[in-house]
Amino acid sequence: MSTHHHHQEDFLFKYIFSTDHKMIAKQFMITGFIMGFIGMIMSTLFRLQLGWPGESFWLIDTLMGSWAENGVMAPDKYLSLVTMHGTIMVFFLLTAGLSGTFSNLLIPLQIGARDMASGFLNMLSYWFFFLSSIIMLISLGVEGGAASAGWTIYPPLSALPQAIPGSGLGMTLWLVAMSIFIVSSLLGSLNYIVTILNLRTKGMSMTRLPLTIWAFLLTAIIGVLSFPVLLAAALLLVFDRSFGTSFYLSDIYIGGQVLEHTGGSPILFEHLFWFLGHPEVYIVLLPALGITSEIISTMSRKPIFGYRAMIGSMMAIAFLSFLVWGHHMFVTGMNPFLGAVFTFTTLLIAIPSAVKVFNYLTTLWKGNIIYSPAALFSIGLVSTFISGGVTGLVLGDSALDINVHDTYFVIGHFHIVMGLSAVFGMYAGVYHWFPKMFGRMMNNKLGNLHFWVTIVSTYGVFFPMHFLGLAGVPRRYYTNSEFPLFDNLVDINELISMFAIIAALGQLLFLFNFLYSALRGPKAPKNPWRANSLEWTTPVEHIHGNWYGDIPEVHRWPYDYSKVDENGDYVGGEDFIPQTTPLGENENDGGH
Amino acid sequence: MAIIITVVVLLVVVTGVQILKIAELRAISQGEKIYEVTEKESKSQAYLLLMFLVYYFGFFAWQVYQWGDKMLPVSASEHGVGIDSLMTVTMSFIIPVFIITHILLFWFAFKYSYSSKRKATFFSHSNKLEMIWTIIPSLALTVLILYGLSNWNKIMTPVAENEEHVLIELVGQQFSWGARYAGEDGKLGRANVNYIEGTNFIGIDASDANSNDDVVVKGEFHLPVNVPVQFVMRSNDVMHSAFMPHFRAQMNCVPGLKTQFNFVPTITTKEMKEITGNEDFEYILLCNKICGAAHYNMQMNIVVESKEDYEKWIASQKTFAAK
Amino acid sequence: MSSITIENINSKAELKRKTAKPLLWIGIVSIIMFFSGWTSAVIVSKGGAPDWLNINLPLAFTYSTVIIVISSLLFHFGLIAIKKDNKNLLKILVLLTLICGISFVVSQFLGWKSLYNNGIVATGSESTNASSYLYLITAFHVLHLLAGIISLIVVSVKSFLGKYNSTNFLGVELSLIYWHFLGALWIYLFFFLKYIA
Ligand code: HEM
Ligand SMILES: [Cu+2]
Ligand SMILES: [Cu+2]
Repeated sequence: MSTHHHHQEDFLFKYIFSTDHKMIAKQFMITGFIMGFIGMIMSTLFRLQLGWPGESFWLIDTLMGSWAENGVMAPDKYLSLVTMHGTIMVFFLLTAGLSGTFSNLLIPLQIGARDMASGFLNMLSYWFFFLSSIIMLISLGVEGGAASAGWTIYPPLSALPQAIPGSGLGMTLWLVAMSIFIVSSLLGSLNYIVTILNLRTKGMSMTRLPLTIWAFLLTAIIGVLSFPVLLAAALLLVFDRSFGTSFYLSDIYIGGQVLEHTGGSPILFEHLFWFLGHPEVYIVLLPALGITSEIISTMSRKPIFGYRAMIGSMMAIAFLSFLVWGHHMFVTGMNPFLGAVFTFTTLLIAIPSAVKVFNYLTTLWKGNIIYSPAALFSIGLVSTFISGGVTGLVLGDSALDINVHDTYFVIGHFHIVMGLSAVFGMYAGVYHWFPKMFGRMMNNKLGNLHFWVTIVSTYGVFFPMHFLGLAGVPRRYYTNSEFPLFDNLVDINELISMFAIIAALGQLLFLFNFLYSALRGPKAPKNPWRANSLEWTTPVEHIHGNWYGDIPEVHRWPYDYSKVDENGDYVGGEDFIPQTTPLGENENDGGH
Repeated sequence: MAIIITVVVLLVVVTGVQILKIAELRAISQGEKIYEVTEKESKSQAYLLLMFLVYYFGFFAWQVYQWGDKMLPVSASEHGVGIDSLMTVTMSFIIPVFIITHILLFWFAFKYSYSSKRKATFFSHSNKLEMIWTIIPSLALTVLILYGLSNWNKIMTPVAENEEHVLIELVGQQFSWGARYAGEDGKLGRANVNYIEGTNFIGIDASDANSNDDVVVKGEFHLPVNVPVQFVMRSNDVMHSAFMPHFRAQMNCVPGLKTQFNFVPTITTKEMKEITGNEDFEYILLCNKICGAAHYNMQMNIVVESKEDYEKWIASQKTFAAK
Repeated sequence: MSSITIENINSKAELKRKTAKPLLWIGIVSIIMFFSGWTSAVIVSKGGAPDWLNINLPLAFTYSTVIIVISSLLFHFGLIAIKKDNKNLLKILVLLTLICGISFVVSQFLGWKSLYNNGIVATGSESTNASSYLYLITAFHVLHLLAGIISLIVVSVKSFLGKYNSTNFLGVELSLIYWHFLGALWIYLFFFLKYIA
């Protein structure tokens, strides 16, 4: 029927310039995963260097070319890799990749909306993200190398090409890419917030929203409040770098001459950066927590314990996340009283976090847990959230931070609590909602294997780092072999690097499973996990507008699992009651 | 190499696809739904989870056993002892929390794995329980905060002017350190990047009378034991961080800003050699803020010695004016 | 092959009515955060600089303030007019607003010029942080204002084409909200720069 021309147009708008949230979600996911894999390969490369400093590796030689003479990377290129790894992992994989995928996929489906508030802005959001990814990758190949001042890009190092070659064109492109990224993130967040607040279907009150949606909402709010501040900080840096202002620069003697800049302070940058930087941690984490709440409840066939407390603690975390940025600056010479205040607010954040953990535990208690890969990764998340969270009490305590600040203790801490938790949450989400995205199922056995390889190897990577930190090893060191002090730590570094290689290889299991299942996996039924929330009432095939006919009406909260009547029989005969089922007589909503 | 790898990868992928296909066909022929998680599968994962708990704790214990003695030795400064005991207190809080919550997590995960004979318990909230686990952490944290802050305030209080002390300025630059002693008058002369020239690499203003008796050293600096040391930190170019892990001391060096830190060294280098049983032991100052390509190798040795030895040493150094 | 579209999908207009304003509001929140970032930066910088230069704002900035307040009022009456279906009044008022908007930009340029003539420059060795901030903040306000002017142009074209009436004035409303916001933002920045920076 349709002409050839028409077909092309179809393709273009269906797959490329799609305004459909489900397609945009997939675009975010695939771009995010590609970036994530690149970030992971980078970590493997620099782990090779750290495990066996100075040794020549074929892999390094092949991938890094002229940056690694004879297969040994140059010290400043090591820093480029670390910087790009951090940037890519935090922003590209775990902000855009995670939020972008699941907010887009689940918000309309779970609240009962035809699409996002603005499909156009949504599409723009993706394309800005895409553009930003491309620019970030291009910066890897430019003269002088990619940005190398750490993902925190503290000036003056990031401002002065004389200080490190990566602060030339590489840094410029980093700033351009991040500015575009921020715009993308803001457009996305705008849409998420408005969609959740305005387009809920009939009956979907705020207290009937799945916790995923609450998490996405709070994440988006944090994003709208914090990303503009990063943009503000980055622009000042741009002006310092290229237009002769001195917001961050003062009293600098470099390359044999004194610079003209006077009156600025790098500390200002730190304040502005961490005003975003810390909330960013929760931008990464909250969606993962939301996803696991949903999965743990569904797979343990039990209502999430303390639904309201979960929302309350996420709100508390979101709020407090804006008051703790100073814990990254305890040893910058800040006023000790301020340091005390930040210690207080930081440890305060532990309380809602603890509440969440206990609520997860109670949800599992007396459940009937079905172990899909998603359920395993969710349990894994609870474990990493605890393991990484407790060391936060060390770092958040200003007095203790003096000696572990910027050491491998920090690297261990945040990789576990933020990196692993968010990655586990993301994997859980992909395994769980894969049928919603591709209409096919992933292979469970491979998924389980992937989980086991991942959790064992990543703990193997990051747990020992705490010991390195307590032995005094600073982060961002090209090698630990310049100090006799660290000579006896060689075996720890080797062990970490071996686990890192296993971890990286283990992710190929996922890649394979993902590609195979997307193309060949068994066809999914409509509601494979027998879940309550609305997305499982949509047809398996993707249609514009999500539901044939009217959008279903919602009558209850999403966590009526294993609800029994006086006789101990399941209400409705099954161990789950979809949100679209009207409340029976004498039945209370919301688990009361 | 590249060709071999490509071939191997292709083979692995093809084999993988075949295995999955066969498994699927087998399942279909037996009327199973391949993606459904059976009770048996759930059970076996549950056992694995329990085994993982044991492994994880074992791994933790193994690390402590294996590496416990590779950690920093006892604190060589007065306040560091306070930090170490604060660390002990914190650890003895968080390790039990870590262990107990993990036992609960994996035990529940194991015990309540799927059984078609059982029903999950519909238990959606309990104000009492939630109160308990809001209040208990709050109390524990209050203790930690108070204990931590009392330490913090002590550490951060500069040495009093009239107290006997050594005043030292640490200056970071890519990629080395300089230390400047205030000299007889106890005052550091004016300094600023504009005065940097030749050997005057930390930019001392020669016209300031306070500079004359200042002593600048590179490569190694000495401290008298049991005398408070007041440090002032500066940087000539980018940020650095003066990290002296054995003294539990760290402060950033920020261009355009003076920061400070102080401590009382309590163990001489010689004594520390004995404590650690390491003949070659040296205290060290290293850089802990990314500052450029050779950040990993920006160091200076610290020698802690008796007051007499220290005085001999400092007397043997040339003053700024003498240079 | 093409995907199935649903006929009763909420009509586009309906969707827009429901979501356009909140989208704008949240966008405004992010702009507010952006400028609070910079104004807080001013406070931090000033706190760390004993020799902070106190700059007297040029008179032109005061005129700008008056102009932008007037423009906001005019535009506001425009909205009231269209709500009463008074299309001609809307045309006039929108045009006047547009003229005010452009005068605001001109007046800002005059302000910068007089600053410059007084030796207060934005960058380079002659500049100080105080002057850099002053230029930067006012310039970025103008940048945001240009978006407002574009929206004003769209609204005036549409009002001349007769697209608005008493039941359809969402475009006017959106543009007005943003315009009011720009005015309020300027007033905040003006007093901030005058008395705090
Ligand atoms: C296989 C997985 C990973 C490995 C082996 C790995 C390893 C490392 C190591 C060793 C460092 C410290 C390098 C140094 O300080 O010299 C580092 C830095 C970092 N990593 Fe990872 N990482 C992995 C995954 C992740 C993930 C998932 C995240 C997401 C949060 C992440 C975020 C970061 C950040 C933000 C830094 C700091 C970069 C900087 O210092 O500027 N990493 N990584
Ligand atoms: Cu933080
Ligand atoms: Cu350094």
